[in-house]
Formats: sequence, C-alpha cells, structure tokens
Amino acid sequence: MSTPEQPADFAGRFMEDYFAECEEHLIAVRRGLLALESAIGQPDPPAAIVEELFRSFHSLKGISAMVELHDAERLAHELESCLRAIRERETVLSAEALDALVGGVDVLEQVIAARRSNGQALSIAEPLDRLAGVSRTARPATALGATPPPAADGQMWKVTFTPSADLVARGIKVDTIRGRLMQAGQIQSVAPRVTGGGIAFDFQVIATRGDAFASWRDDGIEAELISDAVAVAPPELTAPHARGERPGGLSFDSPLGQTNFVRVDLARLDDLMRLVGDLVVSRARLEDALLRVERFTPAPEWRTLQEHSESIERHLRDLREGVMRVRLVPVGEMFRRVPFVVRDLARDNGKRIQLDLAGQATAIDKFLVERMLDPLLHLVRNAVSHGIESPEQRIADGKRPEGTIRLAASTVGESVMLEISDDGRGMDGAAIGRRAREKGIDVPDGALDARVLLDVISAPGFSTRDAADRVSGRGVGMSVVRDTIQDLGGTLSLETTPGQGTTFRITLPLTLAITDALIVHVADRVFAVPQSAVREVAEVDAATIHVIENNELMTHRAAALPVVRLARLFGIAESPRPRLHVIVVGTGSAAVGLLVDRIAGQREIVVKTLNDPLVKVTGVSGATELGDGRLVVILEPGALTRKLRGHPAVRAAV
Amino acid sequence: MEHTSTHPAADARTFILFSVAGTTYAAPSRQVRHIEMVDEVTAVPNAPPYIDGVVFSRGEVVPVVNLRARFGFERCPRDIRARLLVVEADGRVVGLMADEAREFITIPETAVQPPNASISGLSGNYIEGIATLNDRIVLILDVQDVIGAAPRAA
Repeated sequence: MSTPEQPADFAGRFMEDYFAECEEHLIAVRRGLLALESAIGQPDPPAAIVEELFRSFHSLKGISAMVELHDAERLAHELESCLRAIRERETVLSAEALDALVGGVDVLEQVIAARRSNGQALSIAEPLDRLAGVSRTARPATALGATPPPAADGQMWKVTFTPSADLVARGIKVDTIRGRLMQAGQIQSVAPRVTGGGIAFDFQVIATRGDAFASWRDDGIEAELISDAVAVAPPELTAPHARGERPGGLSFDSPLGQTNFVRVDLARLDDLMRLVGDLVVSRARLEDALLRVERFTPAPEWRTLQEHSESIERHLRDLREGVMRVRLVPVGEMFRRVPFVVRDLARDNGKRIQLDLAGQATAIDKFLVERMLDPLLHLVRNAVSHGIESPEQRIADGKRPEGTIRLAASTVGESVMLEISDDGRGMDGAAIGRRAREKGIDVPDGALDARVLLDVISAPGFSTRDAADRVSGRGVGMSVVRDTIQDLGGTLSLETTPGQGTTFRITLPLTLAITDALIVHVADRVFAVPQSAVREVAEVDAATIHVIENNELMTHRAAALPVVRLARLFGIAESPRPRLHVIVVGTGSAAVGLLVDRIAGQREIVVKTLNDPLVKVTGVSGATELGDGRLVVILEPGALTRKLRGHPAVRAAV
Repeated sequence: MEHTSTHPAADARTFILFSVAGTTYAAPSRQVRHIEMVDEVTAVPNAPPYIDGVVFSRGEVVPVVNLRARFGFERCPRDIRARLLVVEADGRVVGLMADEAREFITIPETAVQPPNASISGLSGNYIEGIATLNDRIVLILDVQDVIGAAPRAA
C-alpha cells in the first residue's frame, strides 16, 4: 500500500466486515433455533445445535463489543447465558424459553440493522428481561471447567497497538498481537480507535509478566500499567482460552488495506471447480484426437497444434490451482469448537487438560473442514476420556497433573496433515485385544502393533464405551472416523506408547476434485490409481514371480515384495502374460505390489465420488470420465491392500 | 416431468411402464428423472451381484441396478430395446436397467389393488400394488424398496 487509507474508509470497511459476519452468525442462529423447536420440553436437547448456537452468540457478543455496539453485545450476552443454562441442563428448554430466544434474536437483528442504516436505536430492555427470566431459573453458572484460563490474576495493563504498513509487511497484524497477548495474559477488552493518522487498538490485559510488553515496542505496541495486583475472577462468560487460539471473532487481514474480501457461496465455487473439471476432460479429448490425427498431419502443422494443446494444459493447471486456492480456508475454522469440547469433557471427567493448537493458518479445502469436523472431535473426545489420566493418576505416574492434548496441522506437498496427540496413558494392546474378542471381532494372537490396533478399534462394533455414553453419543465411532477419512481419499495412522501417549495422524488431499492418476489395464478393464498412493512402478517378468504357499512374491530392490493380481482380486478372467506391470503401494512391512497387465499412462482425472450405498465398495473411491463418456473406476490402493492382508478385523468391515 | 397435457384426475397417478422378463411394471413418473439408452456400463469390482456397475448420466455417476438380477431372473445380453430408467428416491439417483420402457400412462387409484400374497417371486418384495388396465396386469414398483441397499455383510 503506497498511501495509507483514510481512517473513515477503514472504519467503513471494518463495519462492513462486522455486518457480514453478523449476517453469517444470524443465519446459523435461525437455523439452530428452528431445529431446537422440535426439542421443546426434552430434558436433553441436541447438544450439537445448542453448542453451535452458544458459539454463534458468543461470537456475536465478541464482535459487537469490538465495534462498540453495546446493545447488540448485551443482547448476545443474555442469549449466550440462556444457551449456557440450557446446555448445562440448568434450565429446561420450554416453549417460553424458545420464544424469549427467538424474540431476543429478532431484536438483536434489528439493533444491528439499525446501526447499519444509521436508524433509530431500539429499546432492548424488554427482550433482555425475558431472556434474563429464562437464565434466572437456572442455578448460578458453575465455574469454568478444569482448564483454568492462563493468568487469572496479575496486573492490569493497557496495551495499545498501532498497525502500520511496515508491520503488516513483517506479518504483524492485530490478530498476531491478540495471539501474543492471549499467551501473556487475559484480554479483558479491546476497542478500535480512530487516531489522527489511522487506527489503533486499545487492549486491556491482565498479565503476570507485563514486562514482556516493553520488548514489543518495535512491533507497534505501547503498554501502560493501569493497576497493580488485580485478582480477577475469570470473566463471567468467557470461552476457554486455549493456548494460541484465536477466538471466533472479527477477522481481517490487515487494518491498513487488503480488507476487500468477497464472501462467496461455496456452491458457486463448486460450480467453478466443476467447470474446470469439464475443461480438463475436454482437453483430454483434444489430446486423444491429436494423437489420432498425428500420422495424417504434416509435421510442422501437427507440432503447432501440439504446442497449443500443451499451452492449454499449462493454463488449465494454473486455473485449477487458482480455483482450488480460493476454496481453501484456515484449518483454525475447524479447531474452533475443540476448546469447548475439551473444556466440557474435562470437567465432566474430572481431568485437567491443556490444549495446544498449532498450525491454525494451514489452508484446507472448505469441504474437508465440514466433513472432518465430527471425526476430529471424536478423536479429541477419545483423547480426553480415554487418553489423559486423572490428575491423581498422573501425579502417581510422575507426570504433571495437567495433561496436554495437541492439535497440529501442516501442509505436506499436496496433502494436509492433521495430528491429534495426547501425553496420556497410551493404548493397552492386550486390553483392547481382549475386548475385541469379547465383541466377536477376530484379533490375531500375540502383541498387537499400532497398525493392527488401529484396525481393531476401527472395526464396526468395537467401542470401548457404552453407546449411550455422552462422549460417544453422537453416533461417530472410530469406524466412521476411518471411513470418512478414506472416503475423502485420506489416510489414518496411529502411534501409541504405553505410559507416554497416543498420536493419530490424518493425511488428507488438499483438494478432492482433480488429481493425477495412473491409468492401468487389466484384461479388458481400465482403472485409475491416484498417483498420491503410488510409491513406485516397475515392469516385471511373470516368470520371476514366486508362489509360496498361497502368496505370490517377487524380489524388488533386493527384498521380497508380496504381490497380488488385481484380476484375481476383482474376479476378472485373466490371460497369462509374459510381462506385467507392478504398482508398489505402502511402505516397509505394509508394502504390496499390485499386478496389472499394463500401465497405459498418467493423466489428470476429475474425481466423482461413489457415495451411493449400492456401489460403495472397499478399495474403490470413485469414478472418472476419461473423455469418451465412459467411466473408469478409481481404485483406493490403501484400502485394497488392507483388505488384501486379510486382517480379520478388516475382513469383518468389508 | 413435462406431461401436464394428460391432466390426471386427482385420484389418479402417472406412471412409466417398462418390462422385465416378459412382465410389465410401472414406476411412478414423479420418481423417474429420465429414460436413456445405455451403451456401456462400467463394472464396479465387488459390488452386489445385481449391480451392473456405474454410468455417467447428465454429469453424474449413477449406479445401475439390473432389474432382471434384482428380481431373481436370469440376466440376458442387452439389446437395443434395453432402457435405463434413472430414478430418484430418498435423495439418491439410481439407474434401473429394464428390458424395454416405452409408455407413459395414467392409472386411476380405483384400478390399483394391494399386492396379493399369492404373487410369489423376488419382485413381489418390491411391489406396492397391482393395477388392472383393460386386460393388462401391471405391477407397480416400490422404487424405494428396489434401490434399497442390501444389508452390508458385517
């Protein structure tokens, strides 16, 4: 930015962001309230909806405070209190309670709309009274869970952050500062203020180590001690502050510019992606046609055509990449609910847990965020209820009484990796094996390694807790977690060390719609194998494949590699061939070679998932159209080879 | 559907007639998206035996149920009269492979009786009624049932 933006413009955009954000939350709120209607009078309204509403009100409160729209803030605060009372089952969701909520939301909407049109201020006294009536029937709010917010007492500081283009260039934005302050202490309030040259943010922070602020002077921060030794109870209704977490508040990149975001309906992006997919298919057709006419076309003309075709391909890749990037959102969006879940569960189970979130800026496809939320929460719940020990137990084991759960996201090439780890007791292989056998799941004898353990706990019908348990009461078990990840073309792995903890590692493709694949032939059938799953390909002389008992093996890189003929796996009549191609998938002891007649080439495919239960088959992830209107089945080598190893737990799942 | 010209009476429903192994069936027309000829179905390995595979229909991947196999008849090679009825139910889109499909008719409710217990055979499981039209007997298909997935072997 060469010239600083006018403060008035900035404030205007700031408000636009606020209104847009409010709109999103209000839509979610309306949907949630509608859904709650059917739960009137029930002692146990659907937790997911209540949680979602609670979260929306909390965000509305936060962002309204930032723009100093205090009527909206107070309304949102009361609404949040009601939801809390309902969530904590301190009050029953009666028809009157729902009326009060709906009425409160109506007025909240009007208050925001009035601000937007600079209209008359409304009276909010009546809805506030009604809402207070609902939450008053409740017992006083219980203390926060077993996760005390950091630095509950200390000194009160006024910290002023004045953003500048320089700072933005160094990656220091108001969100960065907010993050730092949350590490250092507890943010009590924040207010933007238009100054002579731009804008400044006044934070009030309670911190024990305020001396750190002085060293941030170069980062546009001025700190001033307001009062010494304040002991402040956690603010009455504050969401838990997970370390490094950015609350779901107003978010914008740089206060000095680049705030010109456009909100786009995801469906429109899907349309765009589909169009790009169609283009990819058309380009493939063009290439096929070119190859067919090559021998009838004079070389110079053909070369020109070929060059044009290649340049289209390059542009198409750029276009595809561009559209894909637009769909990416920070993974932090998915992590946002985790602190709530951890806090509630930790309290219910009498555990003390610190939550670490890392890599929240990692970009991930919006679609994946929606699909992965429940599986992620399930793994987190498992970590809280099964992984972390009670404080007493931990002390007895010589650990810190407070357990740590860590969620980390990172980008690895074309994939996103999510890790959920805890420093708890680790998995007891023997106990899990015993329980699985009790449930009628076949388990191999002897010690279970991590891979087998994962197979066992992911087998349908295996659940370490009663189904009615609140923890697992949402119908997502490990089997669903693994299925979801596989459906998305990802992988799940497990590491666990007794006494030290457990780590689940999820790898997901950055985007689902288009990928590179090998096209392979088996007899008269054609299949696509995603490149990401293939470690190596090789040609093999059929005579060098040895049969040992019922297994076929070949030597590859001076080691024995088990191989399987895709034809046999799929019951396709095969004709003997002197030479075959082998596709190596998996690593180490999990490496398997898939034998196919030949590999016809590599190309970009547009993935259509096979979701219909009639054709949902292990080892098949989707289908693609190669350009002639016919479909080709996309294989999922990971699932195929797991099935192949014939592990009983896996066999049961097929 | 664009068949408004028939002006069905309030107590009548419209159907697509098709035949499988010499028997005439009717599928409620509001559940039939379209009918198409199919030249190639891509087999899906390890799918249930009555699934021919998948086809690409109007930008979507659609599973194909072979009605002969589903009703317990022997499969036979497709000829040019074979048609795929692309049906929609429970939010799913599935293709039903029939020997032929031609007619669009209106059946008054009075012509429909509940399935008779004495009608045996596999298709009896997927029939919601029997209609008598002049001399013709037509079995009315329960589309939901016929595309219901076989319970997964667990």
